[in-house]
Amino acid sequence: MEATSEPLLDAKSEVTNQLVDFQWKLGMAVSSDTCRSLKYPYVAVMLKVADHSGQVKTKCFEMTIPQFQEKKITNGLTFIPQLY
Amino acid sequence: MAAGEFEGGKPLNGLLNALAQETFHGHPGITEELLRSQLYPEVLPEEFRPFLAKMRGILKSIASADMDFNQLEAYLTAQTKKQGGITSDQAAVISKFWKSHKTKIRESLMNQSRWNSGLRGLSWRVDGKSQSRHSAQIHMPVAIIELELGKYGQESEFLCLEFDEVKVNQILKTLSEVEESITTLISQPN
Repeated sequence: MEATSEPLLDAKSEVTNQLVDFQWKLGMAVSSDTCRSLKYPYVAVMLKVADHSGQVKTKCFEMTIPQFQEKKITNGLTFIPQLY
Repeated sequence: MAAGEFEGGKPLNGLLNALAQETFHGHPGITEELLRSQLYPEVLPEEFRPFLAKMRGILKSIASADMDFNQLEAYLTAQTKKQGGITSDQAAVISKFWKSHKTKIRESLMNQSRWNSGLRGLSWRVDGKSQSRHSAQIHMPVAIIELELGKYGQESEFLCLEFDEVKVNQILKTLSEVEESITTLISQPN
């Protein structure tokens, strides 16, 4: 079995959540008060997650394109189905 | 007072560094007086203040327009020609500074303008559930992904998610939709 050289995940959060919904949008930051010429695209994600009690929370965050394309994310997830 | 009273070279480079730390990277705390006494000790405080303001204004203009090297040269040349502007020595120092710090300053500006949380890190692990009390599952891998999220200037928050095979495949499909969108966006002329 191929393995990555990543260290084992030692989760910092006590609780694991189930992913209920995953929405995304691709945005472009054009300009701001501190920078008239921002011009960078980004991926905005909204996750709905449910904890063990069934309570649903919403988490929003953003990534730059290079971050999104970082092999770590897609490599990690494409590796997983091979284990099933 | 002539711009030439303020030497370029190392003192100006130090000044630009301090200005960048304060204005872009969110590290204020170097006082005007400290800068003057360290970098331009022969200059009087009342003369230093407008000089500092001028340099701060120039740096902000360059960063705000995200100038490329042609724009930079044109802008700095114009600054050397105007009344109360800068010397060509000073222009050279500013040009060199922007060229080597542009990427880092731009990154700071991007982070400052993101008001949502950013993704600071992602780790994952696969656990194998071997059996449970209620059914004879022999091998049921579960993927655990930990996201590190955080707003600009604030501490990280960790979010831990569990996925089974179905979920993982759904997410992979969604990620490739995002990737397609990105490709379309980037290939469009703007």
